[in-house]
Amino acid sequence: MTRGLSWWRTIALTLGAITFLFPFYYMIVGSLQVAPDTSLSGALPRPDDLSFDNYSEINAAIGLWRSLLNSVLVTAGVVIGTLVFGVLAGYALAQLRYRGRGTLFAVMLLLQVIPFQLLVLPLYVQVVRGYGLADSYLGMILPFVINSVAVFVFRQFFLQLPVELFEAARLDGASEIRVLRSVALPLVRPALLTATLLTFIGPWNEFLWPFLITKETGMQPLAVALANYMSTVASAATNPYGAILAGACVLAAPAVLLFVGFQRHFVSSDVGSGVKG
Amino acid sequence: MQIPRAGAAVLSLILAVTGCSAGADTSATGDATARGAIDVWFSNNAQEVAWGRQVVQAWNAAHPDEQVTAQQIPAGQTSEAVISAGIIAGNAPCLIYNTSPAAVPNFQAQGGLVPLDDFADGTSYVTARSGELGAQYRSPNGKIYQLPWKSNPVMLFYNKTAFAEAGISTTAPPLATYTDFLATSQKVVSSGAARYAIFPSPSSQFFQSWFDFYPMYVAESGQQLVVDAKATFDSDAGRAVAGLWQQLYAQNLAGKEAYTGDAFADGTAAMASVGPWAVTAYQDKVEWGVTAVPTRAGSAENQSTFSDAKNVALYTACTNRGTAWDFLKFSTSSEQDGELLAMTGQMPLRQDLVREYPAYFAANPQYKVFAAKAAHVVDVPNTPASVEVWQTFRDAWTNSVIFGKEDPGKALADAAAKIDDLVNRSRR
Amino acid sequence: MTAVTPEAKPATTRRHRMTASVFGPHPVGLLLSAPYAVYVAAVFAYPLGMAVWISFHDYIFTAPGVSVPRPFVGIDNYTTALADPAVRQSFVNILIFLVINVPLTVVLSLLLATALNAAIPFRTFFRVSFYVPYVTASVAVVGVWLFLFSSDGLVNQVLGDLAPDPSWLINEKWAMPSIALFVTWKQLGFFILLYLAALQNVPRELYESAAVDGAGRWRSFRAVTIPGVRPATTLVTLLAIITGANLFTEPYLLTNGGGPSGKSASPVLLMYQRGIEQQHPDVAAAIGVLLVAGVLLLAGARRLLERRRE
Repeated sequence: MTRGLSWWRTIALTLGAITFLFPFYYMIVGSLQVAPDTSLSGALPRPDDLSFDNYSEINAAIGLWRSLLNSVLVTAGVVIGTLVFGVLAGYALAQLRYRGRGTLFAVMLLLQVIPFQLLVLPLYVQVVRGYGLADSYLGMILPFVINSVAVFVFRQFFLQLPVELFEAARLDGASEIRVLRSVALPLVRPALLTATLLTFIGPWNEFLWPFLITKETGMQPLAVALANYMSTVASAATNPYGAILAGACVLAAPAVLLFVGFQRHFVSSDVGSGVKG
Repeated sequence: MQIPRAGAAVLSLILAVTGCSAGADTSATGDATARGAIDVWFSNNAQEVAWGRQVVQAWNAAHPDEQVTAQQIPAGQTSEAVISAGIIAGNAPCLIYNTSPAAVPNFQAQGGLVPLDDFADGTSYVTARSGELGAQYRSPNGKIYQLPWKSNPVMLFYNKTAFAEAGISTTAPPLATYTDFLATSQKVVSSGAARYAIFPSPSSQFFQSWFDFYPMYVAESGQQLVVDAKATFDSDAGRAVAGLWQQLYAQNLAGKEAYTGDAFADGTAAMASVGPWAVTAYQDKVEWGVTAVPTRAGSAENQSTFSDAKNVALYTACTNRGTAWDFLKFSTSSEQDGELLAMTGQMPLRQDLVREYPAYFAANPQYKVFAAKAAHVVDVPNTPASVEVWQTFRDAWTNSVIFGKEDPGKALADAAAKIDDLVNRSRR
Repeated sequence: MTAVTPEAKPATTRRHRMTASVFGPHPVGLLLSAPYAVYVAAVFAYPLGMAVWISFHDYIFTAPGVSVPRPFVGIDNYTTALADPAVRQSFVNILIFLVINVPLTVVLSLLLATALNAAIPFRTFFRVSFYVPYVTASVAVVGVWLFLFSSDGLVNQVLGDLAPDPSWLINEKWAMPSIALFVTWKQLGFFILLYLAALQNVPRELYESAAVDGAGRWRSFRAVTIPGVRPATTLVTLLAIITGANLFTEPYLLTNGGGPSGKSASPVLLMYQRGIEQQHPDVAAAIGVLLVAGVLLLAGARRLLERRRE
């Protein structure tokens, strides 16, 4: 019976995987086609119609390495900021009781609820005019540097840990930082990785904000450079949709690679419960 | 969860902060004669970038003390948000060569634009260059906040291959009257030559009416959407255009769904209403022919069309306005307009184009038809609440004409009443 | 939310008791959350306060130094917003969206995460495939969805005569559910990740003792997994509500800006139109504040429900 179940599971997962992989597949096929084809047959690769033209056009049109470097710098800033300060705040919100915790928690929730469209203009005025951060990496990073969603994620994972664990360590006289570092952090490693992957994608794909901040092409991250490219080639390229898909592939590739590299660390060393059962 | 208490805390914090950050700023009044380095933004369209680069180079070589730095902003909708943000933050450049006339009333209301009348020769320069055509860009307060720069007179492109397949003449296709247009559309689709006759974006973005309703309406009536603070389209002309499109949609001759890519370029649609930029865009993709947009009675020679212009405006964040004005004149001189025409195929908004650049039109006869139309272009009205007006119209249009939820005649009448109200309320 | 917060034990020493009365039992928490609090105050307090302030005034943004009258108008902007049928419709739309999207997201992501957590062949492959739509830019993914759900798309060809007419994305009834399905599909990878991480902290012994008690797979899923990942479920539900309430890109791209006839317009889409395109940041801010209030109400209701269950 167990065996039967795992068969079903594999089949269900495979069907699911196909549904989820399809866009990526379609994107790659579309980006390689010379002539656009949005009909049903367009989903099948036509060997006589494949080329890397769309990619070489991108490479020629934008400084790929330069914008990739910008993206990496911006994203790294956000991820580091979130991991360091987000973990501290998440831990405090979950396991410590102090005055103002409820307020901070409410503010954190509130920040996630507020649509970015509401804040963007005043935020822009503040960052550019108040802090003078136009055309700078810091300006691009600032609104994302501690991701509130990640703080929330950390809090929920720290909540999952039994409180006795911390009490025991504290009774042993360990300082709070020490408790966090040697007790809590190792236990939430999967959450740290998750948060990295989750916060990574925001600034990586973000277009509007870095665009507002940077007018100099040399400062623009990949998403902005590609969006620019997509909007300009739309009229000129032989296959505008292909060019857009190629741009999307270039943008998605590093994220997917990162995920492939990281995903094995999701599981704590003992491979989980499903081995038997 | 202590939301109320927390909410109060946030609010008080907020009030404290807003109180101190709102005011205290530099004056927006600048010196019309100040000179020095300036910033300008061009559209990021490849041909315009190339044109912009050479203008700046030519200028900088001759003016070492008044250097111009050029940057690109996106063409299309995001550019308005970007410009708006620049105005508010006070870091807009001196000149933007991609200012949409529909956005000018908004930018003006924000105090972002310098009236060109501030310069001694401002009015005379604009009038001398654009003549009658420029008059429609004057703001309701009588001032000129935009230099009419270039137009993209909208014409009807058709796919010759598809027309041939459907057995329609490719040299003189019957497209002049609404009856002809509808019959031809039916023929194209029923023969299977194309999935749709025409496929303008059916999206409800406010500006989409510029590419379905407006060119035909302008051709039919010769009028702007709003004249003297009154909507004009609740008229025979407006209803006729709406009726034609309603039929196109009801008979599935025009697409109602979102589409990625360019339906005309890939053969999904056999016709498109587009400006001269399309000449290079479709050059290697479609065997195209071009004609005027249809009218009820069939085109007359001097029939107007929508100009889809992009203008140049001078922004209040600019300190060296003297240089900016000089550079603006330099970049819209007869010589530079010629370069623009040659490099982008877009029509400088000046009088007598064909006579001014005979060599160009001799060498590029396919642009001549656009140049002829460029003398009869009508743009979006320079009215307060311009974007809101267009959105109101668009919502009525999608609801009635595209999706058939309402009688188009009634929808137009309601929209006209709403727009009259909007315009008059915003005038204050 | 605090329902799941463990009660901390009172501090023991006298010094602690002193500070505890002022700062709470763990004053170090203040220190740890200070960077985040300072950050929030420095970056978000002004725009946030500005937004709320704007919603009570007749406001337009202007260039520095340009002064226009910005009178206090009380709740005028709110009444304007609520009197607008398009705005009311958008709130109904988002409710429909949440009713479909949130339960679907929670159930599917937990089931898939449980399956992906097991030792299955090609696990890397499976995990990557569920993650991929989440990282892919919307412009590209929307093309795929149109390919599937347009009038002559794959889905309708499979359905044949059963296909709705007008087709999904231009059908008043189906436009919003289609978007809800699309968003579920696109975001699922994100929520699977959250559950995967949460599953790592469910003690294995619990499964073992459940097995000893003779619990089958389904029973142990219900008795061990679901309670074990409860904080993650809270998180997933709230985040799904929040991201759902912020819906913007999908109606903008997929249904042509909230069509047909505004039946898939979202409040944020209207905020964009009113605030950024049409220069009524005051009304847009009012819509935003209403939306935020609505989401907070939902979050509160969710918590009440959870409490009652316990």
